[in-house]
Amino acid sequence: MKKAIQLDPSDNVATLLVDAVKGDEIEIISANNQVIDSVRCLQAISFGNKVALSDIADKQLITKASYPIGLAIMPIPRGELVHVQNVRSQRLDIPDNIIEEIIKQMRIEQA
Amino acid sequence: MMNTFMGFGRADGSVGIRNHVLIMAVDECCEGIARAIADSIDNGIVVTNYNTCMYGGNEEMINTMIHTGNNPNVAGVLVLAMGCGSIDPEIVAAPIRTTGRAAFSLVCMKQQGTRATINQGKALAQELQQAANAAPRVETPISDLVIGVKCGGSDTSSGIASNPSVGRAVDTLVDLGATAIAGELIELVGCEAILRQRAVSPEVADKLERLIHEEEARWHVDGAEVETMSIGNSVGGLTTLEEKSFGALSKTGTRPIQGVLQINHLIHEKPTQPGFYLSEATHLCGSAGMHFAALGAHLILWTTGGAGFNNPIVPVIRVSGNQYLLNEDIDIDASGIMRAEEGVESVAERIVAKVSQVAQGQQTNIEEFGYSYCSLYQKDQRLETVLRFKPNC
Repeated sequence: MKKAIQLDPSDNVATLLVDAVKGDEIEIISANNQVIDSVRCLQAISFGNKVALSDIADKQLITKASYPIGLAIMPIPRGELVHVQNVRSQRLDIPDNIIEEIIKQMRIEQA
Repeated sequence: MMNTFMGFGRADGSVGIRNHVLIMAVDECCEGIARAIADSIDNGIVVTNYNTCMYGGNEEMINTMIHTGNNPNVAGVLVLAMGCGSIDPEIVAAPIRTTGRAAFSLVCMKQQGTRATINQGKALAQELQQAANAAPRVETPISDLVIGVKCGGSDTSSGIASNPSVGRAVDTLVDLGATAIAGELIELVGCEAILRQRAVSPEVADKLERLIHEEEARWHVDGAEVETMSIGNSVGGLTTLEEKSFGALSKTGTRPIQGVLQINHLIHEKPTQPGFYLSEATHLCGSAGMHFAALGAHLILWTTGGAGFNNPIVPVIRVSGNQYLLNEDIDIDASGIMRAEEGVESVAERIVAKVSQVAQGQQTNIEEFGYSYCSLYQKDQRLETVLRFKPNC
């Protein structure tokens, strides 16, 4: 089964350890390799990218490895890719044209 | 795991895990002479200042060279200068001598030519070698170790596998009573609030925030920006600068920050008690090796995607979680985490065991090929002045 790792129990995202396609059921493991959950991917999510483990509200903090890594700029349902198309830095934004380029290169499907 | 190692006792009370002799060239013109001398002894390591032969502007570098000579892994030093520049080798050798180490200096121009200098240098190097061989062996607890923590060649696997594993190992080592030091303040931009909470006092928190701010100002000059995040970083899965910074931060573990060690032309702070420290050691790997040497580190834990950073003075334990880039250079394979076959805790235990073994004398995988350059890095005094940074507050 395809897997994603939740680095800290407080995280609302997990990082994919393989490429996943839309509809894949992903096993969520802890940092100590215990299976803790399973999530269905709502879109393609490639290796190293993050899947939402819960429904995340607009302006809610995204937490990875227990650290706040940014703010949601729209509601993000469980199973969706959490990335530049729906999250912004609290510190220093990536320029919009670069975000467009990242979305294009990654072929991120947007609702 | 064994809890002690048989170290090399120094007159200043410190104990090394290695017993090196440094041949230092205070200007690049005498490097060839330094290499010829170093090749004549077993544990000779060349340290060269490539950044002009002038004293003015090189004060911080000189300070780093002095403190590198005082590293516990160093038994003695020979300091060379060509003689036509303005750096007197005695300004490096004399302070090292005050620690009880053997320290000689030689000005090439005062000898009868290059060959004569090499011959004279070889004789002095022999004396240093003999002094090193006479260092008493001292049984020392692992808790006396000072460990540098650094990342480089980072990729997606770093934030998931190698950095969290090293972070856990750092916590274990600190809990045992050891000292760990990280640097790379530019990589901690965005982590200030979390770091403040880890600081042992408001003074440490303020200093930390000030030094991160200064490093950010040095690297982000309007009109001459350097990249903080590449498109490749984001395609690889990093969404924000914070995520990149926190991934790097995770190698520092979770224990309280006892202090932030400043490095400049006036100050070269060292840990005053065991625990975890941040420092101004640069994010540039080769030069960071020398900064950690100057901070008194015995060895370095280095996390990577996959590359072979090495430093001959301070052994480097390389940790990678990228199974596609793993090769014989990597000391700890953390790729099991990426394949969901091994947990962070288990990799951390292997790292701690490795630290103990390397302290006991086991060579790291490429330790004998130690000739990565001893790159010396310093802040540009002109930029510091333009930015109005005060070195001693």
